[in-house]
Amino acid sequence: MTVSRPVYLDFHATTPVDPRVLQVMLPYFNHVFGNASSRQHRFGWKAEEAVERGRQQVAALIGAKAKEIVFTSGATEANNLAIRGAVAARRSRGNHVVTVATEHHAVLDTCKALEHDGCQVTVLPVERDGLVDPDRFAAALTEQTVLASVMTANNEIGVIQPIALLAQACRARGVWLHTDAVQAVGRVPFDVEALGVDLASITAHKMYGPKGVGALYVRRASKVEVTPLFTGGGQERGIRPGTLNVPGIVGFGAAAEVCGQDLATEGPRVAALRDRLLATLQSGLESVTVNGSRVARLPHNLHVSFAGVDGEALMTGLADDVAASSGSACASGSREPSHVVKALGLGAAEQWGAVRFGLGRTTTEADVDFAAERVVALVQRLRAVSPVEVGRA
Amino acid sequence: MTTAVGYSAEVVRRCQRLDRAGSWPEDDPDVGTGLVGSLASGALTRLQVRVDATGARVDDARFKAFGCSAAIACASLAAERAIGGTLDTARALDAAALVAALELPDDKLAMAVQAAAAVTAAVDDWERKHPEQRLAARGQRPGSDDDRNH
Repeated sequence: MTVSRPVYLDFHATTPVDPRVLQVMLPYFNHVFGNASSRQHRFGWKAEEAVERGRQQVAALIGAKAKEIVFTSGATEANNLAIRGAVAARRSRGNHVVTVATEHHAVLDTCKALEHDGCQVTVLPVERDGLVDPDRFAAALTEQTVLASVMTANNEIGVIQPIALLAQACRARGVWLHTDAVQAVGRVPFDVEALGVDLASITAHKMYGPKGVGALYVRRASKVEVTPLFTGGGQERGIRPGTLNVPGIVGFGAAAEVCGQDLATEGPRVAALRDRLLATLQSGLESVTVNGSRVARLPHNLHVSFAGVDGEALMTGLADDVAASSGSACASGSREPSHVVKALGLGAAEQWGAVRFGLGRTTTEADVDFAAERVVALVQRLRAVSPVEVGRA
Repeated sequence: MTTAVGYSAEVVRRCQRLDRAGSWPEDDPDVGTGLVGSLASGALTRLQVRVDATGARVDDARFKAFGCSAAIACASLAAERAIGGTLDTARALDAAALVAALELPDDKLAMAVQAAAAVTAAVDDWERKHPEQRLAARGQRPGSDDDRNH
């Protein structure tokens, strides 16, 4: 089987729009172009119908009611709306927020901004497997705590937090639980009722839908509310004013439906490919370690460290063959391993050598075999020129 | 041409081909070795120069490097540029010229500085092994007053 190079193994970053989704979206760019808020003519009615269908489809995927879905421009906005909005809405109760060190920057930086504005923020550490200790989490909740924000699945190491347990602790204390569920929804079963979360952020482009559209789930049963970030035309029941992205929402809904249909088969399929990739890497190389829990983990995530090699240099050398992601980033001249990798307490060689592979719907066995072969070959060459000795680092 | 990660095609090429990668025994009398950086900082560069029999020129150079793409590309290019020049020209390798040749973003200057420093350290190491050559190059004799006064 021929392999299209470079092999794309960065499905945590984004996914291609599924052709079935694209087909459904296309008419809404021109033929059905109405504003969903135009209540006085057919153009608007058709757009509104499409939006409500999308809302139903998205809600169905996560076990929510359609009225609990608030469309946004993406997950960053949904996270901001959830955290800033809940804190503002619950000001009379307190001003304490609990989150976790391995959250996405859309959560951590939002909490940091709130802290700057006078909020109390507790950032909990994770265990070596990347998971939050539920007892430590429960102990962090106080009478002043208004919100806890814990991602369902980590965008780098792919570990799945014990959200249902954390939600129980929150319920007992009257704390609302927000979860950034971007990486989990559409990949593993995710049901807001079963988990007991109050707020959940999701986005279309991580699940084979278009970029630029996301949603915040806001539980209605327990009267969860968020103060809007924007003022404007009153769309989305005033929670998120702004003209709705009709083609995007249509695509989001279609993507949610396809993910729901494929969920039971796609997870095991990519998990088998992921395991094959790991086995090939470990048989071809020494000192390849998996970061994060091997059990509580997304089926399409492989996060490994190649000791003695810098993940970023590895990615550059693989530019023609494999597209994945390293854990390190350069910012303003200083190099830092990712905050997620640092939070795991790994040694320096493992922190710098961290690489994330994300598999997806289009990934084949041939892709995985080709990628593994290229990675093994380049890691061997980079180790040969590295002054850091593997095993002694 | 820059790639999606912000690196030039030349940086990508050097990360793929690893030109001038390798090492010689550090106790080889013709070889000088410089090691700059640390694992903790995320970049470690080892540069070696082989000096010709006259002690005047760098015959050959090799690098080993751990670090980001820029660290590897800078080390590779620094090794290449050290070859054929005098010890003084090798020591005076200009980090800004490495940055320009590799079309690196400004915030990668530190990687070029490290590679240039490793070349300097390698030349210094060779000179430590050959104090008579260093003095001859300065027009001095071993044990002369000039030397003691320095």
